[in-house]
Amino acid sequence: MRERNCYTASRNIQRVSRQRVNQIALVTMLAAAGLTAGCAGDKSILDPAGQAARDVTLIWWIMLSFGTVVLVAVTALWLYAFRPREVTRTPVQERRIARRWILGGGIVLPVTSIIALLAFGVPAGQRMLAIDDSAEVIEVIGHQWWFEVRYPNAEGGEVVTANHLVMPVGEPVDFHVTGADVIHAFWIPRLGGKVDMIPGRVNRIRLEADIPAVFGAQCAEFCGVGHAHMHLFVEALPREEYDAWLAERQEEQLGAVATADASHDDARDAFMTHCASCHQVAGISSGTTGPNLSDMGSRATVGAGVMAMEEGAVSRWLKYHQSLKPGNRMPSHDDIETDTLDALGAWLETLSP
Amino acid sequence: MTTLMERLRLTHPLHFVIGLTLWCIWFVAVYGGHAVACEAAAPAPDQGVFTLLNGGLLLVSLLTTAVLAALTWGCCQAVKQNQGRARFNAAVSAGLYLFSALSVVFVALPIIGVPPCL
Amino acid sequence: MSTVNDKAIEHDPQQLHDDLHEIWGNPKGLKSLTIVNHTTLGLRFMVTGMVFFLIGGILAMLIRTQLAMPDQDFMSPDIYNQVTTMHGTVMMFLFAIPMLEGLAIYMIPKMIGARDLVCPRLTSLGYWCYLFGGIILMSSLVLEMAPSSGWFMYTPLSSSEFSPGLGSDFWLLGITFVEISALSAGVEIVVSILRTRTQGMALHKMPLFAWYILAMALMIVVGFPPLILASVLLELERAVGMPFFEVAAGGDPILWQHLFWLFGHPEVYIIFLPAAGIVSTLIPVFAGRPIVGYGWVVFAIIVTGFISFGLWVHHMFTVGIPQLAQAFFSAASMLVAVPTAIQVFVWLATLWLGKPKMKLPMLWVMGFLIIFVCGGLTGVMLALVPFNWQVHDTHFVVAHMHYVLVGGMFFPLIAGLYYWLPLFSGRMPSENLGRWGFWLTFLGFNGTFLIMHWTGLLGMPRRIYTYDTGMGWDIYNLLSSVSSFVMSAGIAMVLLDIALHFRFGKPAKHNPWNADTLEWANTMPPSAYNFVSLPNIETRHPLWDDPNLPYTMAEGKHSLAVASHGRREMWGTDPITGKVREIIHLPGNSWWPLFAAAALAVVCISLLVRVYALAGIFVLIAGVFLLRWSWENGAHPSAAPEADVAPGDPPLHSRTMDGPGVWAMAIFLIANGSFFLSYLFGWFYLWTVSPEWSMPAVPPLSLSILAGAGIAVLAGYGVIAKLIRGLRQKRDAGLGTGFYLAGALGALQVALTGWALYGADLSPTQTTHDAIMLVGLIYALFHGGLAVILTVMQGLRVGYGYVGVHAPFEPAVVVQLWRYNVVTFWVLVGALAVLPRVVGG
Repeated sequence: MRERNCYTASRNIQRVSRQRVNQIALVTMLAAAGLTAGCAGDKSILDPAGQAARDVTLIWWIMLSFGTVVLVAVTALWLYAFRPREVTRTPVQERRIARRWILGGGIVLPVTSIIALLAFGVPAGQRMLAIDDSAEVIEVIGHQWWFEVRYPNAEGGEVVTANHLVMPVGEPVDFHVTGADVIHAFWIPRLGGKVDMIPGRVNRIRLEADIPAVFGAQCAEFCGVGHAHMHLFVEALPREEYDAWLAERQEEQLGAVATADASHDDARDAFMTHCASCHQVAGISSGTTGPNLSDMGSRATVGAGVMAMEEGAVSRWLKYHQSLKPGNRMPSHDDIETDTLDALGAWLETLSP
Repeated sequence: MTTLMERLRLTHPLHFVIGLTLWCIWFVAVYGGHAVACEAAAPAPDQGVFTLLNGGLLLVSLLTTAVLAALTWGCCQAVKQNQGRARFNAAVSAGLYLFSALSVVFVALPIIGVPPCL
Repeated sequence: MSTVNDKAIEHDPQQLHDDLHEIWGNPKGLKSLTIVNHTTLGLRFMVTGMVFFLIGGILAMLIRTQLAMPDQDFMSPDIYNQVTTMHGTVMMFLFAIPMLEGLAIYMIPKMIGARDLVCPRLTSLGYWCYLFGGIILMSSLVLEMAPSSGWFMYTPLSSSEFSPGLGSDFWLLGITFVEISALSAGVEIVVSILRTRTQGMALHKMPLFAWYILAMALMIVVGFPPLILASVLLELERAVGMPFFEVAAGGDPILWQHLFWLFGHPEVYIIFLPAAGIVSTLIPVFAGRPIVGYGWVVFAIIVTGFISFGLWVHHMFTVGIPQLAQAFFSAASMLVAVPTAIQVFVWLATLWLGKPKMKLPMLWVMGFLIIFVCGGLTGVMLALVPFNWQVHDTHFVVAHMHYVLVGGMFFPLIAGLYYWLPLFSGRMPSENLGRWGFWLTFLGFNGTFLIMHWTGLLGMPRRIYTYDTGMGWDIYNLLSSVSSFVMSAGIAMVLLDIALHFRFGKPAKHNPWNADTLEWANTMPPSAYNFVSLPNIETRHPLWDDPNLPYTMAEGKHSLAVASHGRREMWGTDPITGKVREIIHLPGNSWWPLFAAAALAVVCISLLVRVYALAGIFVLIAGVFLLRWSWENGAHPSAAPEADVAPGDPPLHSRTMDGPGVWAMAIFLIANGSFFLSYLFGWFYLWTVSPEWSMPAVPPLSLSILAGAGIAVLAGYGVIAKLIRGLRQKRDAGLGTGFYLAGALGALQVALTGWALYGADLSPTQTTHDAIMLVGLIYALFHGGLAVILTVMQGLRVGYGYVGVHAPFEPAVVVQLWRYNVVTFWVLVGALAVLPRVVGG
């Protein structure tokens, strides 16, 4: 039985257990939490799990309260102005009243508000700047419609994976993001602000997770037909687990997993025929058009968040991917026999260090 | 035909647009100059805000503010000296020059606090 | 010319009315396609806009149906993307702008005491371009090949590699076509407000609505050209393969975003300002007192108009621009709160000091206030960079945008429609059905979009066609969807109310709301010429100060109550003082605008289906139509061959050198200059910022040949400037020859520029550098060619006797183009050929 890292989205469950849970327990919990699709975590801005996001949430509540007061006050004043009345004022009095309203409401009110906002906003924004090279670097590349994730500084050599991002908890992480085809956007709502993934440029954003947990993320910049199905599973682990996770994913180790167990030879042959030109599996193939599948079995989701990884999920994906994720770039597999797809799926699910 | 001199008088409605046009030119100069400088010769991040670039931007902003403030003062004088239409024009222009001057100050404030090219 | 006294002659009002009707009246049947009258065309604009609004509304209902529940399969993602893209496009380009322009076209001449807009045939061209462009765009929806890259068409998603079909082409060509309409209306509205106000209406006495519309029109003039340039570049990339936005060849997709939002942000205020103008018109009327702080409002309008051009980057806070630059735009974005707050409190103070009545239009104004203030507050929040990073591209932004646009435009628009309904039809709206319509719309709107802020905060990105259950988004989406149907029921009720009122509404008494502005001096519905006689107005509230004014005007007791000359006439007045300077004579109904627009539509369609030969032919045909149209001007027999005026009256504008055409050309050149500056921005932007930009060590353009061309255009300008000086001193000897000489010099400039281009041996499909350079040279060639054609035409017209000392008007128009060409050509030479030599690639 392979081991799977997957935290659930529900905060209740997080409180119950912040440890790794096995697949069966996970599925039950997901069902209990009413989550039917994917291991996608919560995406609420209002439930921050990092300092950058917490700053924004705080300022949101302040702005909301202040804004509500302004809105209610202005509306009430307008309605009050409609009251029937019999007052006679001299032009001088009228001018004085008018000037008071215009200077007070039209100038003093907005000017003080925006100065206060800016005084907060500029420093808060600087927190998300990657000022120096001290932080862990993770590269994320947006493709139509999946995320490629690279760990360039992993000890022992670069680690490459897809749609499943693991980051160390309690320390700043610099994300270097770019787009491979069109513009996508990288955004982990509970950790902080988003940044566009633009072909030809590398954008940087510094984020930090305070708790070991799973976070939902999804492409935010409209990128075509698959835009709604472009999810990223983000998992924050304590440093030592993070290092271990990276160490498990060195080329040789993954290659050994992929080539082990002769009962999957047919599946490997089928993979070489149908998949290898686009997909990389360490030790077997080196295609780069589609996601790297070397550790696919250990990922939480299939198809960039379309469905949860569970027994038979990959084979179902291989058969029905064009209806599960309409328009995705992988050709339809209608011409491949069902048995072959089942074998392929079963083998891919074993690809877990 | 209005002559050029008439148009330059501070009671001419042309001044409704000159102040904010200056603001726009300043804005484009600062934004564009900053972008080009960051592209061509970005100061080292460890210099913080005390860079030649921040200094230059600040200087341009101060000069623009000074010009706009002078025009505001001129318009205020024109308000006192005129009646009717001319007074209305000068008053609106004075307000617009003042707003432009303060806008330069307000928008330029981050130059003091933010390192240039990050 | 100082003042023209109101004529003390007694007229027979009925006779005068019949005579004026004979000249101004609209033809029936097929010939009604030739109508150029602003009242008719304004209504056509508004009705067409309403039809597009209904289409856009149906698309919105489709979107809300799809999003009502998680995992819906009501629409496929491709269809959904087409629907969202078209919803945004239709509402912005085919409803909001044309609708408000239609209102301005209808209302402005009536408010400022004129009889028509100053370029009536341009109004007509604008309408046909709008209609044809709209139909072309809508046909893509029927053909199921509508654009699907979102209404701001970000590259590279919209480029041919990632959007291979015709969808993007429909958008780019259709929208550019519609923008011709917006621009032509913009130009003529500016000139109309500045130069055709009735006698005595000084700048600081004109109705606030005119100030708002003036600002809107100027913003259209400056704001639309960047998008036209962007559309041209992207269409060139898609059709011919010139790589402006493609990184590998040296382009940059972010250039599109800059150009789009350079247009896109002002666009929001282009929509908001006229709507605020409606509010500023209605509030004093229903408060029964003049607006408090007229000067403050003028101040706020001007500030908004300018500042809105300095905010575009706040749509791009997530593209990775340096913090300091983001801080500039963040601060500038917040500044807009000041003029907006000033207006809100001016309105409040006016209500406070007046005796306001909550009539139906005021109900909509109240709805506007609540929704717009809310949208403004979220706008300030969004200007805060860290908050923006979180909620950008989520449903929070979608909600904010609808609060600003529906609150800031739709609610005031309906308020205005109800207010002016008696003017359109002579009948009053019902209070009952109208109130139902308001409350359903108001509650439905807030139910839809207030909740949507929350959905966004829960992390729902925009433009996803489906979402998983379990995100906590389900219930909020369902509530939004249900409310949106309530809102559409409300709008249906409003439309029903308006439709029914034409049949069942109570006949309105004259000036039913006791308003102060001149449009209520019209008959209801108005006549084609608006006013029998044009009054001297020196107050901001003509109908409050003189309630009898409508009657004395109708009796012909004021000026220009003459019809015997058979010309369509109105005052041309000084832009500042409102003193009468000349009599403007307007052209009558004409087929040429329709023909020209139809030819341009064929160009548009042939570009779409990529039959470039046909497109070329029809460009020429459209050019011929437009030139033929311009032939019927000045002293031409169908314009004003005789220059007779009543004793004491000023001359006809075509007999002066400062008529409205000069102004129209100047405003058009501002638009053109905005296009040119956008181009220069593009050139320098790509040069400095584009990641893979490369340029040859030595610019491929020959400096000496270009300098020769520059000297030729300068010499041509010198020749024409000398002719103009002569005309001012009443000399026209050698006028025709002079024009031909200038034309020849212009032709020399074109030939030399062409030679430099040929010698440069550019490969515009290979590198962005060569592509963008080619565009600049084509721009120079086009303008050189245009100047040659217009100048040679002047030579011909001298021969026909249409131009000369007796009619010196047109050369003063043409010389401006030459001046513009001299400046832009030399700037272009400096930017493309000199600077790269100095700075190095």
